[in-house]
Amino acid sequence: MLFNSLEFFIFLPIVFVIYWFVTNKWLRLQNGFIVLSSYVFYGWWDWRFLSLIAFSTLVDYSIGILLKREKKESHRKILLWLSLIVNLGFLGVFKYYNFFVDSFVDAFLFFGYQIDGRSLDVILPVGISFYTFQTLSYTIDVYKRQLKPTTDFVAFAAFVCFFPQLVAGPIERATNLLPQFFKKRKFVYQSAVDGLRQVAWGLFKKIVIADNCAKYVNIIFADYQEYNSGTLLLGAFFFAFQIYGDFSGYSDIAIGISRLFGFDLKQNFAFPYFSRDIAEFWRRWHISLSTWFRDYLYIPLGGSRGGTSMKIRNTFIIFVVSGFWHGANWTFIVWGGLNALYFLPLLLAKRNRLNTDIVASNRWYPNIKESFQILLTFFLTLIAWVFFRAKSVSIGFDYIVRMFSMRFFQNPLLDLDFSILYLLLFFILIEWMGRKSKYAIEGISILPRYFRWGFYFGLIILMFTFTGEQQEFIYFQF
Amino acid sequence: MKKFAKKIAFFLAIGLLLGEIIARMFFLTSSIPTRKIDEFGIQRYIPNQEGYSKGGSHKWYINEKGWPGKLPESYDKLVTVIGDSFIENFMNPEECHQMNYLKKALPEFNYTEASRSGVSFIEALEISKQLDSLNPRVQLIYINETDFTESIQQIRRLSDITQIDLGKKEIVYGKMKAPGVKKILYSWKFIFYLYRRFQGSLTLPKPKETAETPKKPISDYFDHFGDLIDYGKQNYNLDKIVVVLRPDTDEEFSSFLKSQDLNVIQLDDSADDDWSFEYDHHWTCYGHEQAARQVAEYLKKL
Repeated sequence: MLFNSLEFFIFLPIVFVIYWFVTNKWLRLQNGFIVLSSYVFYGWWDWRFLSLIAFSTLVDYSIGILLKREKKESHRKILLWLSLIVNLGFLGVFKYYNFFVDSFVDAFLFFGYQIDGRSLDVILPVGISFYTFQTLSYTIDVYKRQLKPTTDFVAFAAFVCFFPQLVAGPIERATNLLPQFFKKRKFVYQSAVDGLRQVAWGLFKKIVIADNCAKYVNIIFADYQEYNSGTLLLGAFFFAFQIYGDFSGYSDIAIGISRLFGFDLKQNFAFPYFSRDIAEFWRRWHISLSTWFRDYLYIPLGGSRGGTSMKIRNTFIIFVVSGFWHGANWTFIVWGGLNALYFLPLLLAKRNRLNTDIVASNRWYPNIKESFQILLTFFLTLIAWVFFRAKSVSIGFDYIVRMFSMRFFQNPLLDLDFSILYLLLFFILIEWMGRKSKYAIEGISILPRYFRWGFYFGLIILMFTFTGEQQEFIYFQF
Repeated sequence: MKKFAKKIAFFLAIGLLLGEIIARMFFLTSSIPTRKIDEFGIQRYIPNQEGYSKGGSHKWYINEKGWPGKLPESYDKLVTVIGDSFIENFMNPEECHQMNYLKKALPEFNYTEASRSGVSFIEALEISKQLDSLNPRVQLIYINETDFTESIQQIRRLSDITQIDLGKKEIVYGKMKAPGVKKILYSWKFIFYLYRRFQGSLTLPKPKETAETPKKPISDYFDHFGDLIDYGKQNYNLDKIVVVLRPDTDEEFSSFLKSQDLNVIQLDDSADDDWSFEYDHHWTCYGHEQAARQVAEYLKKL
């Protein structure tokens, strides 16, 4: 079920009413209802894959309990490995198997050997990378004794499949989300209103910004050889906003809906396109994934401690793995590698934590230096996004070469509806004004009601007026 | 919670009111005329209605007989034009109706239209029977092969479409689906707009099934079609009827009809393929003009 679909607009109020009016007296019942609704939400796409979630839930719940009972470190390690094998095994089979087979076949072919690699005719279960990482965080935290394993199976199942963030995150840590299932939830008016506001902004980002940018991105990337430099640059620019609007929009909706149900999820995007360097960008983009990799991969590998070679190795590992997490294609690996290249100079020069505050926090607009930094960072990410969007690495390179090979400022050869540019301008302006908040329009809560409601109706009208062809959320495929 | 529910209800009420104003002001949806079932079991429109197309670019009218389009000045040398949504033609201005282009091409005849979206071939024959009282020279029925398959209960039972039960040799008249709900939906413009906007709301792509059910070739239904035509020959004045097949009609089906001694015009858009809207398979004014030209050529020979 998509958040921007009619089914969901019917599903959500029904679940909301039953949740607060029927099941609210019994916590277990309420949690059980969350599991049921989440399974309906997911099963709407394909009920067969519910078995994967159920199995993963059962395995990690059991391993959690066994980890608590087991005192011997070697046995505990085996249990951890079991969880890793089961969870990453599913991911490997459904997401990466064909990629490895094809890559091996290509590699052998390169050396003149033809081998028969049989790929699997399987589809990728929606959101598998998200809920796998979420359950893994539970097992790892329990193994590290940073979290007590739960004996409440229903609460644990609800934690794994909680529908607002099940298919595209934010990837919640068990330490943050799981305890919320043990406490009686109280309906808090202000929190619910704030949640709805965030949902509205998320829908605007998805429906108006991402889907309208997608129209042009699809046209330009499909026939990129036909377009001049200016058009290709515009294509990359639109994609940068498509992916941001799409993914951060989803996160906003997920966080907002969770608040309607009395849950607090962590912020997943913090205005990344206003970053002054790549390190800051990665502290602000897909925060739940970046911190996951930081805590469960980067730090165990030694982090930024140790010598230069270790720093370089660890940086490359985390970025390449992060790229690979996004999809079984070399393009994502190149995207990750490129970001590592951007990041390394900052790390080696120990300048990766220069910009930890909010840009121009006490001013209306950035100074010249900050503006230059923001534009440069945006431009670097834009180049990397080309690989993220391209069908293959060679196409990505070709796209970039063409983007720079001709006169850079050629007029775009595209039948462009200029309203998309005005919408982007409006969007950037609102995001800039709200950059100190958790989401862009959080601050309007202090304004008079006529202004707030006028703004909401304005957003809704824009959504109806500029609804493009309904597109899936990009991150579903991860 | 009470406060939240109250505010949400208030917000929604204002939203619906605003939406209704905007939907009506900017003609976000086309108006849909109200239907009724007449004493002969035929679904037609309630007479003397008018409304706007989407965007408000033109108006449509339902005449006093309950069909879209204007009535002719005279019923002498009458040609009737019967059909489905193509002839109903709400998507184009009044001047783009088939009868107007036919009048331009062959002014010596008078024309009247009787059309409604979803008309099956058997229902078109039933309409032609009612129009026989006007003593037309020719009755043109614009269809394609789906109007034939939809006519026969033995192929697929469709409760809202007039069909024939070939076993009992009996007409089963179509019933209107949820007329009360539709009336509310069509009058409440904003809700109708939302409905139209999101009715095709995509869910996530469903996993591909490994084996798709292959579509039956049209020739599999020729026995049924033969029975339908035999029924038509016994019960309707088929000599006066000319079946006008749309350009997208299956060739095998077209040949089959010709072999059954029916009067058939096969429209041809091979010279230029721009008959339809980009976003809709219905004909534009240009498409209607081209179709009328080809039909007029046929009529000239009569």
